[in-house]
Amino acid sequence: MEEKVLEILEEYCEEALDYTGDNMMEEGVIDSFTVINIVSELEDVFDIEIDAKYVVAENFRNKESIMDLVKRLVDDE
Amino acid sequence: MQFLSSSFVILWVICFALYYLVPKKWQWVILAAASGLFYVIGTGGIPVGLLLTGAGAYACGIYLKRSLAAQGQALSACVEKEKKKTVKQGFERRRKRVQILYFVLGLGILLFTKYMVVLLPFLQNAGLTGLRADAFFARVVMPLGISFYTLTAIGYVVDVGREQCGAQENFLKLLLYLAYFPAITQGPFHRYGKLQEEFERPHVFDYERMLFGVQRFVWGAFKKLVIADRINLFVGSVFGGGGNAAPGSIYALAVVLYMLQLYADFSGYMDMALGVSETFDIILPENFRRPYFSKSVAEFWRRWHITLGTWFKDYVMFSFVMSSAGRKIGKGAKKRWPKMGKHVTGIIGTMFVWLLTGAWHGRTVSYLLWGIYYGVIMCVSLVLEPQYALWREKLHIKESRLNGLFCMARTWVIVFFADVLIRAESLSQAGQIYRSLLLDFRLREGVFDVTSYGLSKYGFLLLAAACLLWLAVSLLEERGKDVRRVLSARPMPVRWGCYYGVVLLLIVTGIYGGSYDTAAFLYQSF
Repeated sequence: MEEKVLEILEEYCEEALDYTGDNMMEEGVIDSFTVINIVSELEDVFDIEIDAKYVVAENFRNKESIMDLVKRLVDDE
Repeated sequence: MQFLSSSFVILWVICFALYYLVPKKWQWVILAAASGLFYVIGTGGIPVGLLLTGAGAYACGIYLKRSLAAQGQALSACVEKEKKKTVKQGFERRRKRVQILYFVLGLGILLFTKYMVVLLPFLQNAGLTGLRADAFFARVVMPLGISFYTLTAIGYVVDVGREQCGAQENFLKLLLYLAYFPAITQGPFHRYGKLQEEFERPHVFDYERMLFGVQRFVWGAFKKLVIADRINLFVGSVFGGGGNAAPGSIYALAVVLYMLQLYADFSGYMDMALGVSETFDIILPENFRRPYFSKSVAEFWRRWHITLGTWFKDYVMFSFVMSSAGRKIGKGAKKRWPKMGKHVTGIIGTMFVWLLTGAWHGRTVSYLLWGIYYGVIMCVSLVLEPQYALWREKLHIKESRLNGLFCMARTWVIVFFADVLIRAESLSQAGQIYRSLLLDFRLREGVFDVTSYGLSKYGFLLLAAACLLWLAVSLLEERGKDVRRVLSARPMPVRWGCYYGVVLLLIVTGIYGGSYDTAAFLYQSF
């Protein structure tokens, strides 16, 4: 699963792979447009629904937090 | 009641004294009372709109809280996974309906009241409304801070529904959140969860914090009175010149100065709001991060009116894109255009947000065009972003100071052309200004005539000096330094010399009195 998430990030936001901080959205590493693309791709690849309530800075702090979110949603399904 | 008025300062001082004298658990009551006074004295009327909005948000919050509790109970009674999923979906659907209803009602009423002010004269001319209707709208329906409390109330309801914060059971506390007096006029738009934490924690008096808060307030007043209001003398004269069209060079200078005026005015207000709040040890979110240092338009809007941008992104854009309609559109587009289809929902969301932003800022076609202009630029730049990276690589363009300056200048040019639209008195004047800028620049005439537009040579020199001081402060902040801390570490004579210097400049060179209303802030009209 982690590999797939990283592949998606590589395709839409390569900077996210090297980012080591914990506030990717507010620091402008990932913009809202890219977030939408990533969410849409994650939904397709993992067959999950990512509700707007999950699309918050806390879940997009860095690549690890995105992986955690996907893991949680996959487990819930 | 305006920040730059004696009545506000009296309210602030009394509230400040009482705030630190009463037991800590009652500090929020002092703030609530001050906010109520600020509102009632400021509007001179009953806050009907605020109370109704608050009551609606309160009822929705309680409903959502009960629904979440009932869902928990229902889920614990289920054993099968599928059954649990169905039960959860049922509760979620009902909660979402309530949130959408409040969202549509709130935003609908806000836009209706904003545009009703424009429609009213037409209705009166047609004899469809009574003569006192405009007074009714101004006092009761279109009162102080309606944009602010409507958007914060919507944010609260959505956040409770998304389980990002708990529902408030004390109506007065919720009203305080909606009408917190340093923020109600122009923001910043705070989030319920964070601000509530600030209100709930005990606050102890701290001399340095009080000093910092007052310093920030004075710095905001400096930006407003010395820079923004001085620029207004020139800009007002150029744009209000009636039929006498100025040369393109004068318009160019006026628009550049207007860009600075808008920033000085609005960020000055924010400094005052955040400064006042800081004296109460309540930290409000920053609304500006030196936007004119941005290297792209997207970055500019991440640094300008940050809290409004975040509001639209979180509550409008993501809500639309992740809704079932948004998903349907996205999937359909992906099927139809495998390569570009993935951008379709993002483009629709971006354009919708920018149209709303335009409609929120003003009631004229110019503002809608302004929104469309930024929406198109944002969409094009975001879709082509990967292409830009390839071009930069092919053309061997590397990150350098020169390249950074070029990118900043490009951003200024884009903002420059947008600001013509919102500053011009009419769409036809905007067209005339664009024409003058491109075909009738008359530089020599502009240089000789520059002092005949309301600002003398000394006025320009003073403005330049004030802007240089502002630039120096901004450069320090851009390097991550807190100017107030830098100053407080200096020897006493230097420190107090700087404080008195700014206060003296403010008193001596601020634009006061006359026919110009110094207290009115530009963004207040939005």
